[in-house]
Amino acid sequence: MAKRILITDDALFMRVTLKNILTQNGYEVVGEASNGSESVQLYKQLKPDLVTMDITMPEMDGISALKEIRASDPSATVVMCTAMGQKNMVVEAIQAGAKDFIVKPFQPDRVLEAVNKALAA
Amino acid sequence: MKVEYVNPFIEATTSVMKQLLQLEPERGQLSARPECFTTQQVNIVFGVTGQIVGQVLFGMSIVTADKIASKMLGTTVVTFDQLAASAIGELGNMICGNSISVLADAGYRCDITPPTIVRGTNVRISTLDVPALVIPLKLAEMGAFEVNVSLKERLTAKAA
Repeated sequence: MAKRILITDDALFMRVTLKNILTQNGYEVVGEASNGSESVQLYKQLKPDLVTMDITMPEMDGISALKEIRASDPSATVVMCTAMGQKNMVVEAIQAGAKDFIVKPFQPDRVLEAVNKALAA
Repeated sequence: MKVEYVNPFIEATTSVMKQLLQLEPERGQLSARPECFTTQQVNIVFGVTGQIVGQVLFGMSIVTADKIASKMLGTTVVTFDQLAASAIGELGNMICGNSISVLADAGYRCDITPPTIVRGTNVRISTLDVPALVIPLKLAEMGAFEVNVSLKERLTAKAA
């Protein structure tokens, strides 16, 4: 059965791009969230196998959402996908339990590699 | 305004454009404006907060915005709709995010807001009395693209 993924990004363009990459490679995108709090809600509702998480978003940022999701489900698999590649941000995300950190702009292969690896772990 | 704030934006703009649009932007003469100001038709505005505060604005014509969005979406944009606007916003987000990351790693911890897209000409956007440095770029046949950086250091000690 296809692995189920929840995409989180405030940019419609980025949600469409990620969805295309993932669905063309055998994944099922079960939900799309446009901010952190929506992602937390959808996570509880959909129980996806993996979440992609932007950081700079309105309402709730991706780091806070990552922490909330991991608090509600310590086994949650979250991969950050953001334009903010600064060291302190990467460290904070990994410490909060993120499995990988993709910096935009990315090549589709980088996303697939991160998702494959995170789901295999 | 310190030039060291501007250099990361020039570098990030070049690298993001290369990867996303497959073109090398041609840089024009750097100029200064007394404040953040734009005469372009489509503008993407980001607030910067933290140890550096201010705003960054990317300006272009609607024709250029359509061409950039078409390239990013892999399909011709006929009307500048929500999806096209979000593509342009994301382009700005990548440039800004990458630049801010370089500044953060250099000891200036800061963060950016999600993009605000402003359409219309002769717009003046000012919240701070900070002069802006303007980097004019030419994106081959896509047209002109302007980067307006208006940042200053917050008056607190720099992080160790």
